[in-house]
Amino acid sequence: MRWATRAGVHIDRAACAWLLRRFVDPGAVFVFVADPAQVPADATPFDVPGVDLSHHGRDCSFETVLRRYELTDPVLWRIAALVHEADLDDGRYDAPEAPGFDLALRALSMVEGDERVLELTGPLFDGVYEFFRRELLLGREPS
Amino acid sequence: MVAQESPGEWVLLQYRLPREPSTPRSAVWRRLRALGVAQLGDGLVALPHDARTREQLDWVAAEVREASGTAALWLARPATAAQEAELARTMARARAEEYRAVRDEALAGLQRTGGAGAASLPPAEHARLVKRLRAELRRVRRRDFSAPPERAEAVAAVEELARAAAAAPVAAGRHP
Repeated sequence: MRWATRAGVHIDRAACAWLLRRFVDPGAVFVFVADPAQVPADATPFDVPGVDLSHHGRDCSFETVLRRYELTDPVLWRIAALVHEADLDDGRYDAPEAPGFDLALRALSMVEGDERVLELTGPLFDGVYEFFRRELLLGREPS
Repeated sequence: MVAQESPGEWVLLQYRLPREPSTPRSAVWRRLRALGVAQLGDGLVALPHDARTREQLDWVAAEVREASGTAALWLARPATAAQEAELARTMARARAEEYRAVRDEALAGLQRTGGAGAASLPPAEHARLVKRLRAELRRVRRRDFSAPPERAEAVAAVEELARAAAAAPVAAGRHP
């Protein structure tokens, strides 16, 4: 399936792309558009203002994707807290690592294109998933 | 960034929301306040234009439409440099006030540092205060496009409070 989002990806779009590829559509292909009107007819848009897989109420797009695809894995919801606070910083969740992730993603997008940002952040989110999974199992930070 | 010779580009959000229910109205207003917008009129706010401010106002516009309101984004240039400078001054004044509030809280905390008695700040509370004020400072800086002198004062006061907190465990030893 083809998925489309806005060019110049930051934390929410990078995390959504990872989430879609890992948990929704292993064959996901991503296209990046400068203008929402350029979303190809055969692509599902996400994190684009006004579309379904986007911010709704207090949710960022990552949370919306979790709800729409009924992904209830608590590890993914812990990642949602990270993404939400990095993206919106509204204090809804306690995610002290969020400002660091926000900076890292913004910094990366200054020197790399969107395709490459997804290539680089894929393994990062895989690792974050493993970290939070172990943390939830252990009840404390894994070593 | 804002006070340049020829006016720069601004992103304007024009919006209208039904009076009832009031929850989306106040949610939208909270979002706009967190972004540090300049209010140009009823349902018209502005920010200096860059990719980030544009995106943030795009999200607010989507939120307004979701709540059965109408919204439009405009890119605009003030007609005169003076008009832009006035806009920048208004925003700087609002940030200056927020920085002063942070500084005052830090100074009040400092006065309660060290010494004994009911007025002195327990170390844990001291650390929490530092953490909260640093976070507040970070939020204000994020919506600060003007860097008024009050910013450095607030940063200095919070860091002084943090140094005092680091030195506090000596006093903590005296607690039962």
